[in-house]
Amino acid sequence: MPNRILPPIVLLLALGLLGSSEPRAAAEPAYAPDGLAFLKKHCLACHSGEKAKADLRLDTFPDEASLLKDRKTWTRVLDVLKAGEMPPDSKPKPAVAELDGFTKLVQSAFEKHDKSAKPDPGRVTMRRLNRNEYNHTIRDLVGIDFNPAEDFPSDDVGYGFDNNGDVLTLPPVLLERYLAAAETIMAQAITPIPPKPPVRGVGTQFTEPAGPNVPMKNHHRVVSFNPKGTPVETGPIFTRFNNLPREGEYRAQTTVYIETTGTKPVKVAILAGCAADAKGQATDAEADAIAGAAVKALRPFVIVKTVEVQARVEAKGDVIRVDIPPDIGLDKLAVALMKPDAGEPAPTLYVRYISLEGPMDSRPASHRKLLATTTNTPAEKTREVVERFASKAYRRPVTKDELDRLLKLADARLAAGDSWDAAMQFTFTAVLVSPKFLFRVETPVADATGSYAIDEHQLASRLSYFLWASMPDDELFALAAKKRLTANLEPQVKRMLASPKAASLVDHFVMQWLQLQPLRNARPDPTKFPNFNDPLRAAMVQETRLFFHEIIRENRSILNVLDADFTYLNGPLARHYGITDTAGNFHGQDPKRKKPGGQPFKEDVFSRVDLKDTPRGGVLTHASVLTVTSNPGRTSPVKRGKWVLEQMLGTPPPPPPPNVPELEKDGQPVNAGSLRQQLENHRKNPACANCHAKMDGLGFALENFNAVGAFRTKDGEFAIDATGELPGGVKFTGPAELKKALLAKKDLFAKCLTEKMMIYALGRGLDWYDRRTVDAITAALAKNDHRFATLVTELVTSDPFRLRRGKSP
Amino acid sequence: MNKLMSRRTALRGLGVSVSLPWLEAMGPLTAWAGEATKNPAPNRMCFLYVPNGKNMADWTPKAEGANFDLPAILEPLKAHREELLVLTGLTADKARAHGDGGGDHARALGAFLTGCQPKKTDGVDIRAGISVDQIAAARLADKVRLPSLEVGGEHGAMAGNCDSGYSCVYSSTMSWRSATQPLPKEVNPKVIFERLFATKPDAERAKQDAKRKSVLDFVREDSKDLEKTLGANDKRKLDEYFSAVRDVELRIERAEKMPPVKTPDYKQPTSIPASYEEHVKLQYDLIALAFQSDVTRVATFVLANEGSNKTYPMVGVNEAHHELSHHDNNPAKKAKIRDINKFHTSMLAHFLAKLKSVKEGDGTLLDHCMIAYGSGNSDGNAHNHDDLPILVAGKGCGTLKTGRHVRFAKETPLANLWVSLLDRMDLKVDSVGDSTGALSGI
Repeated sequence: MPNRILPPIVLLLALGLLGSSEPRAAAEPAYAPDGLAFLKKHCLACHSGEKAKADLRLDTFPDEASLLKDRKTWTRVLDVLKAGEMPPDSKPKPAVAELDGFTKLVQSAFEKHDKSAKPDPGRVTMRRLNRNEYNHTIRDLVGIDFNPAEDFPSDDVGYGFDNNGDVLTLPPVLLERYLAAAETIMAQAITPIPPKPPVRGVGTQFTEPAGPNVPMKNHHRVVSFNPKGTPVETGPIFTRFNNLPREGEYRAQTTVYIETTGTKPVKVAILAGCAADAKGQATDAEADAIAGAAVKALRPFVIVKTVEVQARVEAKGDVIRVDIPPDIGLDKLAVALMKPDAGEPAPTLYVRYISLEGPMDSRPASHRKLLATTTNTPAEKTREVVERFASKAYRRPVTKDELDRLLKLADARLAAGDSWDAAMQFTFTAVLVSPKFLFRVETPVADATGSYAIDEHQLASRLSYFLWASMPDDELFALAAKKRLTANLEPQVKRMLASPKAASLVDHFVMQWLQLQPLRNARPDPTKFPNFNDPLRAAMVQETRLFFHEIIRENRSILNVLDADFTYLNGPLARHYGITDTAGNFHGQDPKRKKPGGQPFKEDVFSRVDLKDTPRGGVLTHASVLTVTSNPGRTSPVKRGKWVLEQMLGTPPPPPPPNVPELEKDGQPVNAGSLRQQLENHRKNPACANCHAKMDGLGFALENFNAVGAFRTKDGEFAIDATGELPGGVKFTGPAELKKALLAKKDLFAKCLTEKMMIYALGRGLDWYDRRTVDAITAALAKNDHRFATLVTELVTSDPFRLRRGKSP
Repeated sequence: MNKLMSRRTALRGLGVSVSLPWLEAMGPLTAWAGEATKNPAPNRMCFLYVPNGKNMADWTPKAEGANFDLPAILEPLKAHREELLVLTGLTADKARAHGDGGGDHARALGAFLTGCQPKKTDGVDIRAGISVDQIAAARLADKVRLPSLEVGGEHGAMAGNCDSGYSCVYSSTMSWRSATQPLPKEVNPKVIFERLFATKPDAERAKQDAKRKSVLDFVREDSKDLEKTLGANDKRKLDEYFSAVRDVELRIERAEKMPPVKTPDYKQPTSIPASYEEHVKLQYDLIALAFQSDVTRVATFVLANEGSNKTYPMVGVNEAHHELSHHDNNPAKKAKIRDINKFHTSMLAHFLAKLKSVKEGDGTLLDHCMIAYGSGNSDGNAHNHDDLPILVAGKGCGTLKTGRHVRFAKETPLANLWVSLLDRMDLKVDSVGDSTGALSGI
């Protein structure tokens, strides 16, 4: 704090309060002349005139208005001043207070302007779908889930996220991949020459009821009529089918003949075993008419058909073909004798085989869905199907011109001799390569100046790609078509967060925010951490994922990220943490504080764990974060401190200056002592202390967690000293106190998370005009228990999300 | 690899036959391979990059000229001594900060082949310069099926900041098609193989190409209305799309006009090998194959991203590379860096041996190559960009006087080397980035 300047202000204010009408004294610092004086003293010697060093002229800013015209330069100047890089070491450095004062003068010039500037929602550059978005969009558009983007080059990252419109490029190699992917996708989705329906046949010696001596004669199973006979002898004989798709048409076939001494017709029945809820099941009376001791056990069944069998000799058996009624949940097929009329002699039935064909429509589900039509004329069928697909793919109704062009393409294929299905497959392939599919286009309203609301369809896309990393669903499209989406943002957010697709928010936003992607390739030193392996690595990621799933699902406070009383663990990870049961009891805890009710852990299933009164809780104690902020062989308090500053508080330290000299103590390199002692020199050397004082302290508080996140009280031979101190005198020891200190800065955390989520949601970096939105959202969060859904809702209803800057006026 | 020259040119494991004329010729894969013919083999250029600088004390030979010694890092290359040109003193001035503050890793890679100062930005307006390999690729485009091949040993950035306010693009990209268009590297050998060689019968390929042309014609026509309505930034993105479309169309046209490529008798890779050493060797093999079959004459290979934190357990280094490279003059750390550097040069030796094993004209494939190898950082701790570790291997069709260590005057631009290499491909340019002329003495 610039103490020299403060007292005069206080005095002035006091005078003001007393009702004095003294004019404001010139003692209040202002850019002109106090800022200019600073510049003259410390900067202009090198940075002025034609030959200004590094081509940076600082002598061209006589007043605040001129500062505002070159925000970029001044952002850099302030950064470089803060890092202590300027003035260079060869020149006298300004005192800390003097520097702070100057910085504040410049910053307040910008702040004053920004507060009263016209709101500017910003403009995002047209965003191409990144790999994840491409995969999810194909899944939802076509119904196929096979990671077609696996071969695409990785997306470049901007401002921390891989969905930044400016950074995502489209090199030729990617277009080749798009072509190949589109062809593969449509080849899987639509089969123009569908395969023959499957046929499953069973020789009757394998039919049930089974037994050691199934009566057979010449490959035919013998079914006798005998009210007192066994099931094996009297049937009905049947075979089972497992897991048949319920929606499908099936046909059954069998070949039989009868031997009888009577003359009256002999009938057999074809029975279809069904699900309990099937329609048309045989009634008791109907079932009674069927012969065989196994009838009762077969129920429920549908009597598909009763047929009079003419054949009396094996050589000329009757082939019986029947269509099975639809949607009965077919699981068995049986052939049975009908009971002969009273007085008639007992017939004997010979059955050669039972076979089932189907589902008759062997086209994949995606094919049937994509090419479903309500008309039959070819031209109309084409129009209906293409219009539907293209509108979904472009994420807005297709225009007449676009549709005409697509129809022309389809007609050309038909004229070239393709089948209708193949022509549609080709046309859809072209749609998947169109920039209107590959990019999220937000065609500007022609000649709009000032800001305007993006149209409802564009809003639907923004919303769905933000929360689901995929295209809008039918409900969002419907609302957009009716122009009712903007009015319904809050309930839609609630619905979308509850959907399983919201897992994308965790997998893509959270993982990038917490910078956990490098965990995939982390290689902790196997000699020091032998228990680290791929299943443990996967468990670490899963813990963080499930943790965030709960925060989203239960609309918990975002402050849980800093400190929570729960987590999710499986067997291996719990052992790694030394946690013994789901009540959170752990090795080495005070036996008097053991919590009741804990369950043991399952190896492969994650269970929720109560972490009250344990050293863990919140992402700072997740092994995932702890590993990714360590070196392969040891912890790195500097990395951890930096991570907290950057990802949790949004106050990143400036980058290290070039040519960092070696850590030395009394002229000798420091390689001995505990890690803490080695890093002590960061704080001793004033050139380093400025930044390291902030970072190292945070990292030291986490030293009880080793480089793979396990708890420890010693580092090699040194006992862990987990005290840290922040500038300003805030002291803490260990993770619990660190978390308390961080929670005290919850507004800073809320601001940080808001900013990061905005960058992800908007697909662009933030600029000065976004500040008021960030402030509004943070204020709303504070009023609402910092709940997650509040953050999302406030974001999607904010100006930058719904509006777009038009051409500059 | 010798089997490539064998009589049996049928493709095993692919279930596919290549068009008959080549099969029947049963000769080598290119017109000039085999005995000396009237057509001399063309020159190829390849740029290899290793990150985080080197232990210069173990790299720079003490003696100059033809009797140079091979310090520890160069020792694995001893079998190829006569094909080496070790160049000392070259400088990448545009990798220096020049007022931009931190970011030496991003700049080192961004300036290496471009000779231009990468623009410091996290996202908007990414900019470096056109890289020498792309200058060559553009000029050779109508002579080869694939203008250039960009290979990587490590995926692009996965999250967050990569270097001090520079977008991750810079520290993972060496090839720039234009000042604003970075080219991604291909890390998966399976995908590289498919890109290089036909894996379908030619008739089927032709049908697919015809359909693709039709799709591309359609999207081009269909996007005209978009072009009219977009703002400037968006138009730039659409332009990228259009030039990518044009590129693919040109490739299809070229494929139609050129003789079919014989897929070599080489087991098609199916995935990225788990071992880094295997992965690197496989990528090198694919570049050699690509040169040998003249699918392309320009290749780049970024063995690991700048600032890479890979560990090298195969040589006993379990610490992260970038962390180690900030060695603070700790001798133990410097020894480990030397071991990592040595690992990379031993991989280079494998590549050179592969190239040497292919007979071409009256020499070997290596005789017709110019393989540039090095880094945009000199000492990893100091992050200095002068005195860069650079070597060139291969005789360049007789245009390079190899088997020497040459020292250049201080501040000689690295880009001068690029100008000279382009010259040796018969692609004269006035300058590349910050070059001041050709590099004499090679």
